[in-house]
Amino acid sequence: MMRLWIVAFGLAVMPSLAAAQIGNPAGLAPDTRFKAPGVPEANQTNYQDRLFAQLMTAGGLAEVDLGKLAVSKTDHQGIRAYAQQMIDSHGKANKALGSIAEKSRMPVPAEPGEDQKMARSHIDGLKGREFDLAYLANQVVEHQKAASLLAWEIGSGEDAALQRFAMETLPTVLEHLQMARDLTAELTLQAQAAK
Amino acid sequence: MHTTTKIALFSATALALFGAAAISDPLPPDLTYRPLPSLPFSKVKQTDEAQKPAVMDRQHALLGDRYDLSDRTIADVAMSGGRKGVQAGVRVKTAPGGEWDELASLTPQQIRDRNLLPLGFLPLPHVKQATGGQVFPEKQIGEIGRDEGRDLRRFDVDFDLPDHLTPEFPPPIFLTTHPELGDVSRGDLLTIRNFYEYMNGIVTPVQMEGLRLLLTPFPQEEFNQTEDRKVAAQSTGVACLDCHSNFHTNAAFHLTPDVRPQAERFRLDTTSLRGMFNQQIHGSKRSLRSIEDFTEFEQRTAYFNGDHVSATRKGVNLPDRPNQVAMMAQMQNIIDFPPAPKLDSAGRLDPAKATDRELAGEKVFMGKGRCAECHNPTQSFMDNAMHDLKLERFYKVGQTFNDQVAIPDGPIKTFTLRGIKDSPPYLHDGRLLTLEDTVEFFNLVLQTKLTRQEKDDLLAYLLTL
Repeated sequence: MMRLWIVAFGLAVMPSLAAAQIGNPAGLAPDTRFKAPGVPEANQTNYQDRLFAQLMTAGGLAEVDLGKLAVSKTDHQGIRAYAQQMIDSHGKANKALGSIAEKSRMPVPAEPGEDQKMARSHIDGLKGREFDLAYLANQVVEHQKAASLLAWEIGSGEDAALQRFAMETLPTVLEHLQMARDLTAELTLQAQAAK
Repeated sequence: MHTTTKIALFSATALALFGAAAISDPLPPDLTYRPLPSLPFSKVKQTDEAQKPAVMDRQHALLGDRYDLSDRTIADVAMSGGRKGVQAGVRVKTAPGGEWDELASLTPQQIRDRNLLPLGFLPLPHVKQATGGQVFPEKQIGEIGRDEGRDLRRFDVDFDLPDHLTPEFPPPIFLTTHPELGDVSRGDLLTIRNFYEYMNGIVTPVQMEGLRLLLTPFPQEEFNQTEDRKVAAQSTGVACLDCHSNFHTNAAFHLTPDVRPQAERFRLDTTSLRGMFNQQIHGSKRSLRSIEDFTEFEQRTAYFNGDHVSATRKGVNLPDRPNQVAMMAQMQNIIDFPPAPKLDSAGRLDPAKATDRELAGEKVFMGKGRCAECHNPTQSFMDNAMHDLKLERFYKVGQTFNDQVAIPDGPIKTFTLRGIKDSPPYLHDGRLLTLEDTVEFFNLVLQTKLTRQEKDDLLAYLLTL
């Protein structure tokens, strides 16, 4: 599953990915079991792992959901391609994350968070250029937040599989952010030129 | 539409917007704030000690992948105290198909797409990024232990670079107030135990008090009395000059206080305080406008990672601005650069003293190499500005190396090049080990396409500074 997912994201496997994460033991869960001195057994989580899994799952579900909305509503070819990419990428990432969460016995949400639902309902009420701009504005913020959360997990998590997921996902999320920023720039320049 | 109706509608929309903002949760607090330890000190120490060999092996593997770490010095060149050679050669390793000449012929986009940027040009991770904090070299730990009985050794990490790639220790001290005296360090490290004996008679009472404060240990994030520390016994802390040994640098490193989350903080190689009198901005990111501001605020940053909440718990020292900070600043402002006998008063080579190669190097520096656009000779080889080299044009951002996420550096202040042969490693995070590495780095980043001869001339010139 993980291998497929990496290939799907088009990432080269970097040597650093092979190296184990070594966090600050001051942040380990108090009941952590060790397989060797200083090395926690697999699939154990601290509070950062569990909160990360919650927030990333909700965010990932929102991405797919909003992507579908955008594909059906936008007339902009670039935004439609971007939205389709969000559906595919985040769909695969959600599966990979779900599989790790299951192994590490972390319950994850089945739907987006309340604020994400509200944002969707706001965006859904718009049409044409207004819709496009609101969707992109949402995408910029959501990817900014996701990038921060991924870096947080890399630095603070305990579950090595989840940290590897974060490491592998972060470059892609930053690429998505750049795409959303580029599309916004393209659209707003058009708007200015039309005036 | 009726005006009242319009206002009512507008208010309803505004309420909906503000309402939406109010229920949107912020990200978790420990993305910004330092979390409290979740385990007792003894357990953390035990685990940290158990992890240490793997931590050091991993860091040495990264360094070995990126650099040639061998001990090879330039013939007949020493650092200013005459106690240590200057390391020779380009040490950053290139990727297959990405040798220096090939790289110079490619565009940044091509280098990025083909993954050809030498790994040594990427941000250098802290030896243990997830924990971060100050790490001192062995010689500093030894000398402070012997002289003061104070322990600067961490139980979770050791210093990662070989000694021959760091500045000479202890470095010489030159005073602007006494150029005729030369090095006043007596070949020793200034400490709280010896400073009065060494400096009485050559500094003023105000400077002496500033020096005393700069040598006085105060609680710090990893060296303090709480369970959130990385030193075995409860510690009285660290002093400013524990990193800035003899007002220069011992290559002790830290993480920038100016970035969060932790994984994205970049490493900071200790900056020399030589030539402080001409430096107008301070802090690689903060651009503080006076050495007084910087000295005062270091208790929040070098000492506590820019987290005043954590600092309050561990016992922060807040020096009094007019009576303490001013004196600390005045002491720092009399620290001179080492002598550069071939430079005139405007920082240009004296043709009567310089060799042809050095003069040719100066020409490259001022022209094709574009060095002097920021490193202005008349301003002590600085421009008192910050610049963004946009290195991220050459690599894919967001990759993780030893738990550090490589994000763009953004604008960083221009550092002086006076006495530069005394200050390895180079760049704000110490990612470049030799002067030749810096020549290759800027040749690529600025796309200057220097020839082999021009690079060699430039090196000869840099050694005169």
